[in-house]
Formats: sequence, C-alpha cells, structure tokens
Amino acid sequence: MTAITISNEDFLKFKEFFYRKTGILFDDSKRYFVDKRLIERIQATDSENFRSYFTMVRFEASGNEFQNLVNTMTVNETYFFREEYQFKCLVESLMDEIVSHKKDKSPIRIWSVPSSSGEEPYSIAIYLLEYWSGINDWDVEIMSSDIDTQIIEQAKRGHYSARSVQHLPKPFLAKYFRHENDGYQICDDLRSAVEFSRVNIMETSEVRAYRNMDIIFCRNLLIYFDDASRRQVAEIFYDAMKVGGFVCLGHSESMSRISSLFRVRKFPEAIVYQKPLEHL
Amino acid sequence: MAFIKKTATPIHCTEHDERHTERDFADLVAELGAENETARRWAVRDLTPLPDASQPLVARLAYEESASVRAAILNALAQIGDHAAIAGLIHCLRSEDAGLRNEAIEVLKAIPQHVEPVIHTLLNDSDSDVRIFAVNILESLRHKDVEKWLIEVIEKDPHINVCATAVDLLSEVGTERALPALKQLKIRFEDDPYICFTTDLALKRIEDGSQ
Ligand SMILES: C[S@@+](CC[C@H](N)C(=O)[O-])C[C@H]1O[C@@H](n2cnc3c(N)ncnc32)[C@H](O)[C@@H]1O
Repeated sequence: MTAITISNEDFLKFKEFFYRKTGILFDDSKRYFVDKRLIERIQATDSENFRSYFTMVRFEASGNEFQNLVNTMTVNETYFFREEYQFKCLVESLMDEIVSHKKDKSPIRIWSVPSSSGEEPYSIAIYLLEYWSGINDWDVEIMSSDIDTQIIEQAKRGHYSARSVQHLPKPFLAKYFRHENDGYQICDDLRSAVEFSRVNIMETSEVRAYRNMDIIFCRNLLIYFDDASRRQVAEIFYDAMKVGGFVCLGHSESMSRISSLFRVRKFPEAIVYQKPLEHL
Repeated sequence: MAFIKKTATPIHCTEHDERHTERDFADLVAELGAENETARRWAVRDLTPLPDASQPLVARLAYEESASVRAAILNALAQIGDHAAIAGLIHCLRSEDAGLRNEAIEVLKAIPQHVEPVIHTLLNDSDSDVRIFAVNILESLRHKDVEKWLIEVIEKDPHINVCATAVDLLSEVGTERALPALKQLKIRFEDDPYICFTTDLALKRIEDGSQ
C-alpha cells in the first residue's frame, strides 16, 4: 500500500471547501494539523486517495462523513469558569438590565454557542444559581449549540476531567459534582438545565429557529474565522436576538470592527455588544 | 430551580411568520419590499444562496432606508461575490451617504479575493475617494504586485491624499524598488510639508530595513 499524501493543491481545495461550509479558515500554519486528520479520515473510510475521499464527502447525501470530518477538525478546548469576568458581568449587570426591559414574565433566553463540551453553559447556570437573586423570580432558558456532534454528546453526559474543573471553587465542585473514579460527574439538576443542540452557525437553515435571545455567549469561535465569516455571524446574531439583548465575545474578539449593527456597552466587569433598543 | 428547557422549535411556514422558508425567487424579491424590517432581512437571507440574487439585492439597496437591512444586503453581496454583487458594492463607494460608503468599504476589505480582479480599474477611477479606498484595500490583498501598484500610484496620481495613503502603505511593504519613486514624489509635492514628512519616514524605514 502506498502512503497517502496531501498535495498543496489538495490542501487548497479542502481549505476552500471547509471554509465555505463552516466559516473556519485554516492558514498554512495549520497544514500539519489538517493533513494528519485528513489522512486519518481517508484511511478510516478505506478511500483510495484524497481525490476519491473528497468527492465522497462533497456528494454524500447523508452528510455523515462531512460530520466526521468536522468532528476531527474542530478545536474543542474549554474549561469551567473560563474568562470568568464575563459571568460576573452577566449576574451583576446584564441580567438586571434585561429584566428591567421586560414587559411580561416570559423566560429569559440565553444561547451559549459554541458549547464545546458544555463547560460554558454549565458555568452560566452555576453563576446564575449562586450569584443572581432574580433566579427565584424569573425563568431562564439556557440553550447551547455546537457544530461537533461528538462534543455535544460529551456535553450532555457531563463528565469532566480534573483539568476541566480546576478553576471551579471547591465548594461548587462539592455541591454540583460527584467525584467518580476518573473524574467529575455534573449533577442531574444542572444537566437538565441546559438544552444542547447541533448547529452550524454559518447555515441559515440551521439558525433560523433560534430567535428572541436575550443574551448570546459566543466565545472563542470567531478566532477561527476570517472577517467575512465574522460579519455573517454578526448578522445571524442580530436576527436571533431581541432588541436590547447582549452578545458576549471572547476577550480577543470584537464586534465593533466587523459590524455596525451593535452598540458597544462598557460595564465595570466587561465590554459587551448590544442590539440597540431603538430600530437602527 | 428556575431553569426551564425548550428546544428551539422548527419554524413552520405560516403566512404570518417573517422567517417562513418555502418561497420561490419571485416571492422573495417581492418580500424585499415588505413593510416589516425583519421580514426584509429574512428575504435577503433566503435569497442569498439562489442563483441571480445579486441583481435584485443591489436594486433594493438604492431604496432601503433601514441600516440593519442595508447591512444584511451588503454582507449578502459579499457572500455571493459574483460580478454583479461586487459591482453593486463598488457602486456604493460613490454614494452620497457616508454611512453606506463606509460600510461598503469595510465589507469589501473583508473579501480582497473578490476585489483583486477590479483593483486596477479602481486605482484609475476618476473619484479620488474611490482611489483612496483602492489603496487601502491593497493592504489586505497580499498580492505579489502590491508594491508595483503603489509605485504606480505615487508616480502618477495627481491627488495628494491618494499619494499620502499610498506612501503610508509603502512604508510598511516597500522595498528598495520604491526608493526612486518616493524621492520623485517629494520633488513633485515639495511645497507640501505633510507629504514630505511621511515620504521621509517611508524612505527611512525602507533604507533602515534594507541594511
Ligand atoms: C474553542 S471551543 C470554544 C468553547 C467555549 N465557547 C469556550 O470559550 O470555552 C470552539 C468550538 O467551536 C465549534 N465550532 C467551530 N465552527 C463552528 C460552527 N460553524 N458552528 C458552530 N460551532 C462551531 C467547535 O466545534 C468547538 O467546539
């Protein structure tokens, strides 16, 4: 059997295709990362070479192999209480402001996308329970989505490594987790507090159902995108939100450079982006 | 606990929903003129993947008053990226409306690969603002001829602001090849202290860099 290789031309073709489908842009520095995973998938599917594999991925009606490819190409790095200042901002500023604009008692909707293995939406739930007194008076819906089906299954299971929970205060670990031989199992109350779903944020048909969000957390996703895709995401969020709703991005990400649709709001704990209350 | 679960439910096609899906091209084009802003945004969104969407989107841009719908159209055109879409975006650069102009510039900067084929035409446009934009976009192009184009600009362009913008960029990407043209530019605009200052800066950067 001859060794499978990925030529420059193959890499460019793949990169273009993957970018168009997911918004994720691989530059040349990711060449090794991409080649290695492509070769793994070519072998796993018993394909002869890149060409036959790539044809299959593009024309396969079920999209199963495309999903496998996505699952191997995504970077799922995350942990509990990552960029904690934003959760502080949530409970100290954002939730109360959202409540002050509400005209009825409908639930407050939060969308955490991408979820990766669930640490972010579960951190939001813990923060609300621990630090926001309004949780006694208001219903909150937490939805969380990712393009990677494998990682969503992991999020639903809620089983975590010591590394993933290392920033959690010990009392919270004791309160919300059960120590199990090789890690930590999150309690059922929290598991049932978050609704996980598979969504490709770049697909209009898949995001259409997400609407009336009060707060969107979108952290450490846009770093994998180029400006053109970031602009598309800004459009998608605008349509998914209520007026007056907030978007929280990762610390190195910014909305103001890519979209005029949102207003920059500076809170003591963090800078977030708001869909204006009045129509633009 | 006050957490409740509700999965985002699929949107059914009802007459009253602004996001309903099953509409053909003609319906969507008609919907671009709908009264409701959200409905117009969704019409833009759903037109985008269809063939020949650019032309009706560009046409709508001329009347569209809502900034959020305009933003949706500009981004849709960037995503489509065909000839009509890019021509529509470039047309915005001539708009009287500064907001629209700036928004179009930002959108075009994000898609340098689509602008590259027309960059030469833009660099020779009769409107100096369009030429300044073209120089600005060269920055994001990463094309092997960027320096050559910039040299041409400072050799020929009569407008001082266009030249100043090109000099700024040359001070970052220029090599020894740009030195004669930079020196010539200083002579051409010898009465202008700003050009002399930035040109000196660029000369120094390039000369220091090449040592
Ligand atoms: C680094 S994780 C970020 C997780 C979490 N938000 C955080 O900040 O810790 C990035 C996630 O983005 C997901 N992702 C990448 N492209 C996506 C897309 N087009 N739609 C939805 N999720 C995507 C990946 O599967 C991955 O799980």
